[in-house]
Amino acid sequence: MTGTTMPLDVVIEFNKATISHKFNLILTDVTFQIKRGEFVYMIGKTGTGKSTLLRTLYADIDLYDGNCSIVGYDLKEIKRREIPFLRRKLGIVFQDFQLLMDRTVNDNVIFVMKATGWKDKNLIKDRLDEVLTKVGLNTKGFKMPHELSGGEQQRVAIARALINDPEIILADEPTGNLDPETSGEIVNILFDINKTGRTVFMATHDYPLFSKFPARTLKCENGRIFEASVANMV
Amino acid sequence: MLSSEEKFARRRLRTTYLSSVISIALVLFMLGLLGLILLNAKKLSDYVKENVNVSLIFKDNVSESDILKFKAHLDSSYFVRSSKYVTKEEAAMQLKEDLGEDFIKTLGYNPLLPSIDIRLKAEFANNASISVIEKKLLENENIKEVFYQKSIINLVNDKIRKISIVLIFFSIILLIISIALINNTIRLSVYSKRFLIRSMMLVGATQHFVRKPFVLKGITQGLYGALIAILLFSGTIYLIVNEIPELMDMNEINVFAEVFGIVVLLGLIISYISTIFAVRKYVRLKTDDLYYF
Repeated sequence: MTGTTMPLDVVIEFNKATISHKFNLILTDVTFQIKRGEFVYMIGKTGTGKSTLLRTLYADIDLYDGNCSIVGYDLKEIKRREIPFLRRKLGIVFQDFQLLMDRTVNDNVIFVMKATGWKDKNLIKDRLDEVLTKVGLNTKGFKMPHELSGGEQQRVAIARALINDPEIILADEPTGNLDPETSGEIVNILFDINKTGRTVFMATHDYPLFSKFPARTLKCENGRIFEASVANMV
Repeated sequence: MLSSEEKFARRRLRTTYLSSVISIALVLFMLGLLGLILLNAKKLSDYVKENVNVSLIFKDNVSESDILKFKAHLDSSYFVRSSKYVTKEEAAMQLKEDLGEDFIKTLGYNPLLPSIDIRLKAEFANNASISVIEKKLLENENIKEVFYQKSIINLVNDKIRKISIVLIFFSIILLIISIALINNTIRLSVYSKRFLIRSMMLVGATQHFVRKPFVLKGITQGLYGALIAILLFSGTIYLIVNEIPELMDMNEINVFAEVFGIVVLLGLIISYISTIFAVRKYVRLKTDDLYYF
């Protein structure tokens, strides 16, 4: 693991970082911290770099310049073989769910467990029941992803993200494909998770959510990211 | 109970798997067939060479018993594979048949002489060896002439040499094609799952963990392909043994076992290496690159 000297209560720290995507500079001079247990929105119009920043955080895009640390990993120095272990400390929820479409809900979650070293069948079953109950899918474990609604598929993705009790949930527009009511349910689940002490960093452009679920907000605009006042935006 | 959609999806998966296995099987079958031809190439060339005919023409006054005695002597000599005594009368009948007219009636007598047709062992069926044998045979005062077609023997040896070169060249090309085809089949199968691989990587699976089931699947595809190829191969051998027994017989079990072994080994090795490389490519790609490769 590439160690960093991040304060103990800080789980994400950007310092004068430059985020780029395929030789295009997306965000410059990115400097902010997220503390353990915080719920943080990241907002901005489509194409302002929200997803690129999140992808940088889970090492799907290389950090172009500056410094960034997440759960103790220095993204400037991280090695390819360390990336899976970083991702195990994160729970990632995607807009397009990224489920394994060739297997059932149970198997989607079990895959992550097996991939991350779970071996005991009883423990696997207990934990599976626990997370599926948490997201309200305990009766649908046998279903294939294509048999579920968008909201249910996103719940599976959240269950999968929760399975290893991650320090941070990174959610990239988790409500982007959902109707307002289902979006509310999903954000509610994310807030419940946050109440258990986990950090949630969620990219969205679903502005009505802010009034219902207010939280600290960062805004991407004109190649920069800065603290935003939710009251003004709403 | 499975829904019809699920049944359809499973059937489609099975069909894809089966078509990959069949592709591998056919390529391995071709490769095995070529292996068998190569391993039998010497036998094949010996077969052709041992059909080259050398005729010993005897003088008219030599008795049949002397000729038969000489034939017995010939049969025990180191360079003869088989021999056949042809009497004057048999030679005349054969010629009559070939010409389509009764030349004895025209001439009033049979001008042909008794002879022994010999088939040489393959290693002596070349002009240099035959010249030495000819000299030795002509030492016998009963023999009037030793007849063979120098140009045909040269031609046979020349053709066999050229065919051997072509065969080796063809084998190398076929091996490359086989590797390319099997590799392509497996790459396509892995390519169709590149987004699945990506999802696996995004949830924290290591490269090794993602690669393992693909490699196992690749190996089983190679193994099943090789087993089907062996089945096809056994059928072909059975046909050849029944239809052209001179080319092959069931006693060559060692050769068959060798070829079967090579087919299984090639199936496993090519599938294993192809899968390793194909999966390695996709576990290393960034999400954006999946759309370009």
